[in-house]
Amino acid sequence: MQHSKTLMVAAALLGSSALSAHATDLQFIMCGGEVRPADQVVIDQFQKDNPDIKVNMEAVPWGTCQDKSMTLAAAGNPPSVAYMGSRTLKQLSKNGLIVPAEITPEMEALYQPGVLKTVSDGGKYWGYPHAFSTKALYINCDLVTAAGLECKAPADWTEMIAMAKAIKEKDGVAGIGIAGKDFDNTMHMFLDFLYSNGGTVLNAETGEVTLDSQNTRETLQMYKDVMPYGIEGPTAWERDQMKDLFNDGKLGMYVNGPWGFGQQKEKVPNQLVVPVPHGPSGVSGTILITDSIAVFKQKDPAVEAAAQKLAAALTSGAAQYDLDKTWGLTPILQYEKMDVGEKPYYVDDAFWKVFVDGISTGGPEPLVTDFKSLQGVFTTMIQGVMLDEGGSIDDLVKQASADLAEVK
Amino acid sequence: MTDVVGSKSPVIAKAGRRGLSEGWFAWALIAPAMLFIGVIVAWPLAETIRLSFTDANMGGENFVGLANYEKLLHSSKFYEIIGRTFFWMFLSVGLKLILGLIGATLLNAAVPGRALFRVLIMPPWVIPIAIGCIGWLWLYNGHFGIVAGMMQRMGIIDGPFEILAYKNSAFYAAIVTDVWVGTPMVSLFFLAAMQGVSRDLYEAAWVDGAGRWYRFRRITIPQIMPVIVSMALLSAIWTFNSFEIIWILTQGGPRGGTTTMIVDTYKTAIGNYKFGEGAARAVVIVVLLAVFSLIYLQILNRVNRKYGVK
Repeated sequence: MQHSKTLMVAAALLGSSALSAHATDLQFIMCGGEVRPADQVVIDQFQKDNPDIKVNMEAVPWGTCQDKSMTLAAAGNPPSVAYMGSRTLKQLSKNGLIVPAEITPEMEALYQPGVLKTVSDGGKYWGYPHAFSTKALYINCDLVTAAGLECKAPADWTEMIAMAKAIKEKDGVAGIGIAGKDFDNTMHMFLDFLYSNGGTVLNAETGEVTLDSQNTRETLQMYKDVMPYGIEGPTAWERDQMKDLFNDGKLGMYVNGPWGFGQQKEKVPNQLVVPVPHGPSGVSGTILITDSIAVFKQKDPAVEAAAQKLAAALTSGAAQYDLDKTWGLTPILQYEKMDVGEKPYYVDDAFWKVFVDGISTGGPEPLVTDFKSLQGVFTTMIQGVMLDEGGSIDDLVKQASADLAEVK
Repeated sequence: MTDVVGSKSPVIAKAGRRGLSEGWFAWALIAPAMLFIGVIVAWPLAETIRLSFTDANMGGENFVGLANYEKLLHSSKFYEIIGRTFFWMFLSVGLKLILGLIGATLLNAAVPGRALFRVLIMPPWVIPIAIGCIGWLWLYNGHFGIVAGMMQRMGIIDGPFEILAYKNSAFYAAIVTDVWVGTPMVSLFFLAAMQGVSRDLYEAAWVDGAGRWYRFRRITIPQIMPVIVSMALLSAIWTFNSFEIIWILTQGGPRGGTTTMIVDTYKTAIGNYKFGEGAARAVVIVVLLAVFSLIYLQILNRVNRKYGVK
């Protein structure tokens, strides 16, 4: 009797494990170190609607997350799905590690202009865009007025440099923060200014390198001109560190995303958010950066199908709206064309207008096959100006263009 | 005693009686260790060498012959990195040896509280390197750090100065941190060697009227010279391959000013997923260190012969 009981228990256990083996397990790597509540709601609902699918979440900080996903994929043990920077997509797709995103024509029509370009290559979309940012110039009005100036948007680079100079000469604090550290946002900030001067990096149609231009030279020249009024030792600073200086009243202005307002409003209540000033050859623009949900190639097609389904659910209209609104992101979809049950948070809002208006004149983060080398190319060029090394501006631009041709 | 040394041991004799020759029995004894070394050293090394002849990346690999090595040979940047790595190694090891010797001498002196001082030099070596480096990052911060703050108070600079923002200051700052981490161990090794020097030698020299400096120069240094040379070799290898300190402080920047060979290898292989090119760099490191170690071992043998150490 005892033996038969044991056998029954063993059979039940084996049966349950066999059942669980039939269920589809999704490994989801979420870059950013946390699963946002808006995403968790969708994931919970997804599991409820699909009881045979289990989603295993792993939140990993940005510093190591993309490397982790890519290394796992390269080693033949990819996650099912990962939320990561769209800049990684071309490298992953060229190496056959991810599959195209199945974005419906209805959804295509809803994305903000330029967003889908950040995930496109070879006529396919390689990720579901899930977070979008544009940038603006944050100004500490207390420092500006203390310097004897009116706190208003600098119309162009000349006015911006004059404002930075006045702040620096009045209080000795940095007039403007220009990122120069070996970090991605050094490139991003440069592209904010390059796109605001009519510059480009790659030809969208042909993929040809277009960095070697007068627009790039003028942007680098502006960096050189503003250095005396910027943060001391800019090659040690990246954007997020500048936020602390700004909050301490030691920085007059710098470029950041919409999230900066909330992070600064307590310590710098008198802050002004304005479009990135334009250079002599362009109109105000911004870099359009997205993070996407990528579906990795799997041996089991059922896992791939489940991953596509989950990615689509997370980026669907209502779910995406909740994320954008609660996180304070630039709207990735044109929610005014949808029914989200309320007036979209950015409509008729002066703060959001700055970030939304920049979309039409913005440029994408370049999609290349070696995104880390791309970052290195820009950092080397920018640090060349900051450290006065590597030759003239002309030499630096020519070298960067040549290097870029190798990594595109 | 003589019987044991001069004849076969009982174990070997027993093995021999069972038909296993002495040679085979010896091989059997070292086989586990050989297997272990094969798995953790030889196989990865062989695999690295194989990879260095491929263009291995995220998408797969193809045999490319010597292309990766040719690329290195034609890269002026790579020669710059090699030069910087040796400069980094010699300067850092030199400072560690000098400071380690001074530290060991002080710790060996008969002063009250000596045991406490011996404990107090340990933290840089004992605490995790990452934690120590993050502390140094704060010290070096130009706006909030102690170093720049003190320099301002002393009137050396008149405003914030970002030590890690400039190639030279970042390089020497990384050296200071590396020396801070590495000196305690060198000191302890030297201290152990100093404690092994016979007191009779010092007493005899003292009776003959030798001063402190003379005794240090003519007794202490010669007596611990084999340890100094051995320590220098070990420290040189560790410093050459030192990664965490540079990575945490500067990630090899600004503009490559602190990029040593090991950092360059990591950036290439792991950062940019160019496993083949990274492997070629790793093989160059192995060759350079092997040559360096051989030269060093020759020197060590000479030193040992000179000072009568077997």
